[in-house]
Amino acid sequence: MITVNDRDRIEWREGMTVQDLLDAMRYDYALITVTIEGALVPEDEYDIRAVPDGSRVGVFHLAHGG
Amino acid sequence: MYLGRWPNVPLIREIAQICGATDAQKYRSDLTDENPRACVLCGRCVRACDEFIMERILDFAGRGTMRHLTMPFGEVDPHCIGCTSCAYVCPTGAIRIVDDLNHPADPRMIRDYGMRINAEMATLDKNQCRMREVGTANIVDVMDAYDLLPVHNYKFGSHPDAKKIGSAELKARFFTQNHPDGCWKGCSMACAKAVDGFELRTGPYKGQKVVVDGPEYETAAAGANMGCFDPDFVVEWNFYCDTYGIDTISFGTCMAFVMECFENGIITTEHTGGKVLHFGAKDAVLECIHEMAAGEGFGVDVGQGIRWLKEKWIREYGADPQFLRDIGMEVKGLEYSEYMCKESLAQQAGYTMAVKGPQHDEAWLIFMDMVNNQIPTFEDKAYALYYYPLWRTWFGLHGLCKLIWNDIVPMSNKTLPPQQAAKVPEHVEDFFKFYEGMTGKPLDEEGMLAQSARVHNLQRVMARMFGNGTRTDDMPPFRAVGPVTAEEYESRAERYDRQLKELAGFDPEGKSTAEKMAALRAYRMEQYNRVVDAAYDRRGWTRNGVPKIERLRELGIDLPRIVEIVRNDQE
Repeated sequence: MITVNDRDRIEWREGMTVQDLLDAMRYDYALITVTIEGALVPEDEYDIRAVPDGSRVGVFHLAHGG
Repeated sequence: MYLGRWPNVPLIREIAQICGATDAQKYRSDLTDENPRACVLCGRCVRACDEFIMERILDFAGRGTMRHLTMPFGEVDPHCIGCTSCAYVCPTGAIRIVDDLNHPADPRMIRDYGMRINAEMATLDKNQCRMREVGTANIVDVMDAYDLLPVHNYKFGSHPDAKKIGSAELKARFFTQNHPDGCWKGCSMACAKAVDGFELRTGPYKGQKVVVDGPEYETAAAGANMGCFDPDFVVEWNFYCDTYGIDTISFGTCMAFVMECFENGIITTEHTGGKVLHFGAKDAVLECIHEMAAGEGFGVDVGQGIRWLKEKWIREYGADPQFLRDIGMEVKGLEYSEYMCKESLAQQAGYTMAVKGPQHDEAWLIFMDMVNNQIPTFEDKAYALYYYPLWRTWFGLHGLCKLIWNDIVPMSNKTLPPQQAAKVPEHVEDFFKFYEGMTGKPLDEEGMLAQSARVHNLQRVMARMFGNGTRTDDMPPFRAVGPVTAEEYESRAERYDRQLKELAGFDPEGKSTAEKMAALRAYRMEQYNRVVDAAYDRRGWTRNGVPKIERLRELGIDLPRIVEIVRNDQE
């Protein structure tokens, strides 16, 4: 199980990448920053960086508009 | 060859030296130009005009040795907006700035920081918010995806038809102009879009082809709020709002309220002059706006706004006061802007506590709170409700646009922790440097907050002077906080049931929808009041929402007449 933003729980699966997680959350926003256990994941690694089971992941949307 | 042609241009000499060419005499010819600030045809200015400002006024003409820099037909083009980008990037000084509008203290500082934004717009915007391509219409897509787009008077946050009024549709079918709109001279964001040759099908200009400015996010989203997912309607309605001088947000939100009342039988065709005003009744909406402008029929009533309509319908039609006050999306007499805030406590309070009413100055709190969960405690929310309204006020005070703060984001922002990243510190610095470049006075966060807080508190005191400006005036309609109807609750039952169980300590198992709604309402209003308490405290206001005298003193605005207004409200 993965915890996103200290609140949402997402089922973990073998080989899950950051991008898989974002897809599962339906997070397709352009201005997103991702951390795993507090460490920043570079955007160009979303497709290859594995998310370990039990991770605490932060998905930060920088809101615009308004 | 370059050295022979421009032997006195320092940049050319420098490059030639690197290449081992030092004897200019050797390469001299009839083309030799002795001017040390000669144009060397590098093309930087051409690219700046195209990529930064999108004007494409500067370009080369002539071939071979006749090649030269020019504006169209060799004349100074009136479309040149004087942004000075070309001069900024010119490596030789061939293009010079001969005038500085408004006599800034340090024009170079302003250009240095302004050019950073230009470069970001040219390189990053296409992969971020696409402000140049579609303007704020991009937000329709985002809000719908995150269940934040107001649909049917804020009952819901998304709709399968939202794509019909989304940015792709608007761009493909309507947007015809994509260059600076002149709202800010030299702005490289150019987010305002226009529709050319749109043929109107109703109203006094029926059959005419017109230019329509927009639509931008709030206007398209108001279409969703009224259930009108027809882009032709949105553009026509946009045109008539502009033409009649009517605010699309206030009208759209008010009409959404009218439609919900019609659907609930509170008003009928008897009251509306025969108009059937179900959600999605786009022709009837247009009829209403024409009536409003002509000062006749039901449209006149709609023009009075939600607060007025609620009271009239309660008084004259015997409508249920609680229901109308729950679904009438206004605070302080102003209609809500187009963001669904049920799941964000901070945004609920951001709307209600805004001194001028629930406008969209601080709408990004929704993402910080609801999606990111980055301001989880009441203290975190109170800080956000302190900092961001003051930051936003600062833009207004200085007549500056907010959009280049966080609708384009520097690359460095992705390396910052969320709390810092939310402030976009590099862009905050740009604004402070712009202020310093204009006034000659340095500014930092503390100084910015103090400037805004004086005005913000003074506005609140003025509201008090007019008999408003207390907690009662900051109370939301319940629709802004949670589900008012069983239909709403059941549409997101999984979410609400989970919250009842995990957050409110109420087991929803075996309970009726009415029981669950009552429990959720009690929980959410308690939470709302707690966040307001925390925010008042952070702002230096009493529990009734009135600035404390000590806060006025701290800000240096404790003038006797001002103190007198709030003296009796002190705890």
